[in-house]
Amino acid sequence: MENWHKRVLLTAVAAVGSLMTGVATAQSTTVGEEIISPDIDRRTIEKPAIDTEDFEVGLYVGILSIEDFNSEIVYGVRGAWHITEDFFFEVDYAVSEADLTSYEEITGGPPLFEDSERDYSYYTLNLGWNALPGEVFILDDYTLKSDFFLIAGAGSTDFLGDNWFTVSVGAGYRLLLNDWITWRVDVRDHIFDRDVFGQDTTTNNIEWSTGVTFFF
Amino acid sequence: MYSSVLNSFSHFQYAICTVVFVMMALIATPAYTQDVPVYSTVVEPYIELHTQPGRSYPVFYIAERGESVELLKQRTDWIKVRNLRGIEGWVHIDEIGRTVNEAGEALAIHSPNLDSFANRKWEFGVMLGDFDSSDAVTGYGGWQFTRNLSVEVAATENFGSFSDGSMITGSIVHQMFPQWRYSPFVTIGGGVRETRPRSTLVGTEDRTDNVASVGGGVRIYLTRKLILRLQYKHYVVMTDRDDDEEVDEWKIGISAFY
Repeated sequence: MENWHKRVLLTAVAAVGSLMTGVATAQSTTVGEEIISPDIDRRTIEKPAIDTEDFEVGLYVGILSIEDFNSEIVYGVRGAWHITEDFFFEVDYAVSEADLTSYEEITGGPPLFEDSERDYSYYTLNLGWNALPGEVFILDDYTLKSDFFLIAGAGSTDFLGDNWFTVSVGAGYRLLLNDWITWRVDVRDHIFDRDVFGQDTTTNNIEWSTGVTFFF
Repeated sequence: MYSSVLNSFSHFQYAICTVVFVMMALIATPAYTQDVPVYSTVVEPYIELHTQPGRSYPVFYIAERGESVELLKQRTDWIKVRNLRGIEGWVHIDEIGRTVNEAGEALAIHSPNLDSFANRKWEFGVMLGDFDSSDAVTGYGGWQFTRNLSVEVAATENFGSFSDGSMITGSIVHQMFPQWRYSPFVTIGGGVRETRPRSTLVGTEDRTDNVASVGGGVRIYLTRKLILRLQYKHYVVMTDRDDDEEVDEWKIGISAFY
């Protein structure tokens, strides 16, 4: 008898329980459907077509003081990529030609090097930092942007018949004449070890240059 | 024929190669033709116009809510704008990103962040390091064609006591976790290498060999568009002699992406 009662009660509880779960499931399904099927068109957001001017290319001419040789005129090209307002990458390539060594000039003896070996060329890959950005005030209403920057890099120098690993450090000044034409003054020290006179010597080859570059 | 072409691979031509990277960077830049002027409208209380593209330049004008400005050009993170009265100034890209176009949508531009790093398309950089116990310098460019895979071209020059050399390699690079700030990668590749014995050595000739490489490393996202890159590569130089040369290379570099 007691068993019968228990069975009825349990069945009733089970039935109510399953019913409630059923309702709960039904409710969650309705809610779920609303979440799953949003009727929104995904917009394709396009970047506005703005002309970016982060590249700077130009020519330069200067004086290169080649260690153990004279100071000579140097001609170069440079290209820079401005990554942020603070930092830029720059590639420089320049050519020059050395004359006689100081030794050859003093002794007047036979030349130590062939003419072709006296051709001097280098390239450097640099990272620059616009350390002191500024403005130049010319007239009341006419101001120009300027940057004093520090720059360092590495590359190769082809001189006296071999290529030498070259570290280049320096600084420069860039004056923007308008939005895209600049006037530049640069000083660099191209440092490399060479052993053409029998033992390894570190040479400092200081270069002063000026040039024009264009942003595009 | 193949090797005779490569034998004339000189210092000058190497320099040209590095210039090619710059050219690649230029080609990779989206070439927008600015025929149609782009306008946007200020919806925040105001935006600030600086005299020059830089955070420290003075603010000389404020464009108020509802004012429309023409977007003229972009330099790094700054956009030059002109309002209807002809006043021109430079506004930070994040402020322009909160203005809206004619359809009332916010402009899809912002300064580069970790998300831009994960979704970069192009990467260019310079690396320095040690190639077989000699100084080495590398310029490289890469194109990311999926979130995980990229192809890279690199020009390396190294300077040893007895020889120096130039190398052009192409490689495929796989990064497992593009969204990580410290993103590891593995790479395999191949190319050609020219070895030039020092002119002080007698009786030796320049030689050109094929190389194969395998390596790995990590790109570390620094800030804005800048990446620090550390990598190791192992090269096999396939010489004409009985034994191939095996060379280890360690490098550190700085790169930028967009």
